[in-house]
Amino acid sequence: MTLEIDRVTKRFGRTLALDELSFSVPRGRIFGFLGANGAGKTTTMRVCLGILHADAGQARWDGVATTDLPRRTFGYLPEERGLYPRMTVIDQLVYFARLYGEPAAAARTNARYWLERFRIPDYADRRAEELSKGNQQKVQFIAAILHGPDVLLMDEPFTGLDPVNLSLLRDAFVELRDSGRTIIFSTHQMEAAEALCESLAIVDHGRLVAGGTLRDLKRTSRARTVRLGIEGEILPTWLAGIDGVAAVRPAAGFTELELRAGTEPRDVLAAALARGAMVSHFEIAEPSLEAIFIELVGRSPDAEDEPVDPVDREDAA
Amino acid sequence: MARHDPLLPNAAIVARREYGDRIRSKLYRISTLILMALAVGVALTPIMLRYFDRARVDEIGVIAADEDLANATVATANGIMNIAPPGVDPKEWAPPYAIGWLHDRDLALTDLAAGRLDAIIEVERLPDGQLKITYRTNGPADGVKAQLAGFTALSVAILDWTSSLPPGSQLGTFRTPAFEQASLTGPIENGQVVDSVQVASRGFLGTVFIILMFITILIYGMWVATGVAAEKSSRVMELMISAASPRQLLVGKVIGIGGAGLTQYLAIALPVMLVLAYQDQIARAVLGAGGAGLPTGGLTIGLLAAYGLFFLLGFALFALIYAAVGSFVSRPDDLQTLSLPLSLVAMAGYLCALVVLLGSTGTFARLTSFIPPLSPFSMLARLMVSTVQPWELALSIGVLIGTIGLVAAATVRIYATGVLLYGQRPGIRAFIAAARRA
Repeated sequence: MTLEIDRVTKRFGRTLALDELSFSVPRGRIFGFLGANGAGKTTTMRVCLGILHADAGQARWDGVATTDLPRRTFGYLPEERGLYPRMTVIDQLVYFARLYGEPAAAARTNARYWLERFRIPDYADRRAEELSKGNQQKVQFIAAILHGPDVLLMDEPFTGLDPVNLSLLRDAFVELRDSGRTIIFSTHQMEAAEALCESLAIVDHGRLVAGGTLRDLKRTSRARTVRLGIEGEILPTWLAGIDGVAAVRPAAGFTELELRAGTEPRDVLAAALARGAMVSHFEIAEPSLEAIFIELVGRSPDAEDEPVDPVDREDAA
Repeated sequence: MARHDPLLPNAAIVARREYGDRIRSKLYRISTLILMALAVGVALTPIMLRYFDRARVDEIGVIAADEDLANATVATANGIMNIAPPGVDPKEWAPPYAIGWLHDRDLALTDLAAGRLDAIIEVERLPDGQLKITYRTNGPADGVKAQLAGFTALSVAILDWTSSLPPGSQLGTFRTPAFEQASLTGPIENGQVVDSVQVASRGFLGTVFIILMFITILIYGMWVATGVAAEKSSRVMELMISAASPRQLLVGKVIGIGGAGLTQYLAIALPVMLVLAYQDQIARAVLGAGGAGLPTGGLTIGLLAAYGLFFLLGFALFALIYAAVGSFVSRPDDLQTLSLPLSLVAMAGYLCALVVLLGSTGTFARLTSFIPPLSPFSMLARLMVSTVQPWELALSIGVLIGTIGLVAAATVRIYATGVLLYGQRPGIRAFIAAARRA
């Protein structure tokens, strides 16, 4: 079983949101879907769900067009979070599960299990408006998985979560993956993607820029990361001024430098020594996902994409 | 093959949630109780007014040139103005007017000005022998009383004329004629033309029904629009659109909110209907034998059913459009602005119905009773006060149901697109574009 996005094109007025986008995700994988704002991530998910119709191309699951499959095949956590504010948590979880065809009693039992799993069992009978944003987000996640979908589409699932809840959600991802679910999530948080993804796709302007396993992406990347420790200097900010250094990140005992394509690590070492620095640590590391993203897209994943047609900007987001 | 999204059970699940959400709210319950009390109060108003006036007797003075003319006027006025209603024993009935001859004209006019007299009937004989009768009041004359005074004047004149006939003329006793009004286009009940008193009663009830329909359609329609807009602004819509189809969501919402509205309507209307149905009995109990004859005699099960049917169809039509409006709104301000044209359309239907209730039976009245969204109002009004052929009723209902189907199809498309749009001010172009794509 595979989720295939096959040359999907979607246009909103003058804006081309998806441009023959293609990638595939095998069953039982955690798949990262990376791109800046407006790159076409939400539109792709909406096309998969059948909320939007593709102008050309098709999304398929196990060879069948996703628009022909029952809704319960998919679970969706939208980027725009929302619950019925005056409804109790348990009532709305059962309500959403029933819409997906789950019997009420089974949904109630399942909902209580997941509330327990996310350490909010006491909130079951509280109104949603009484919950913090983080806890509301966990309830929305439960609403997306309660009916046991084969494919989970999660739009920025980690945004707004504290480290404890982030860890709970990651554990849930792994548990769901191990039970055979296929999870596709979009994120700006490269660390989360790097920690969880087995494979991923990077999109820009509705086009696939790169895709495959994380290992393959790192192997083929021309981005270079160098870890440099300087004796007696905790924050050697001058490193950012060396020719060919794109980004500088302080770390424990060393500074991580992202190098521009074409810049060799030995050039950076030579530049540091030439400045008279006492180099205590020098290491050529694998490029980070963020470095690969910047290399391929030309900007940080947090940067805004070009503005899209205002009439449809939400659709294209 | 396309995804199979049958209406049930999801539309029923959505409808149940919407219904429960509304009827469980304190605001809904309190407003229902207040409206129920208000409506029953309004229904009892005619009885209450008559109760407070029950001990009141209008003092009417007669001023005349001579005693014979004065006595004839007093006797005639009593015979016309103090007649017991049909079915009431005159012995148990207290006459509402005290009519007597006043000798001093100046004093009578002073008493009228001071409020000690309610009216004066002044009878003068002009030089050519003709009678001049003036009905004087302090302030604007009451229409019914003035009409009775007019009848009295005519009768006094006839009696005066007959008294001038040559001695020995053989004439029978003068008797007040029985007067009735009949219309060729009046309503028919069980094959019989409904009498004029019941037609007048139906005119009153028709006005009440049309006002009720107008107000409830607007209020419950706004509930639908705000419900959709609230789901959109709280972003819960994002979860909903992946769990259920726009058709299931829309139909469920309209039925659920419509059901809550209907429950409130029944909670208000049932006690009112009971009061109206038993108004004569209540009036007799409160006012005694003279309390009969209040204007609700024309109410029938058929008319109540017609009201229920046209209310439901009218609500369905407007609620669908309100849902489409709600789906395009990102801010509450826009909802107010966008719902204004809809309110104006409903107002047009309401005014058409009033024209019909005022007696119009021409092409305009007939035409508006077939054209949605005017027809729920106009046809109901026609049913209340005029003759409607069975084919006309069937055509009106058929066109209305067909229109609801077409509007529903367009609304589902608009809704499916509208709920995903944020941040733009909706206009007519956006609606048309949304109806075309999706």
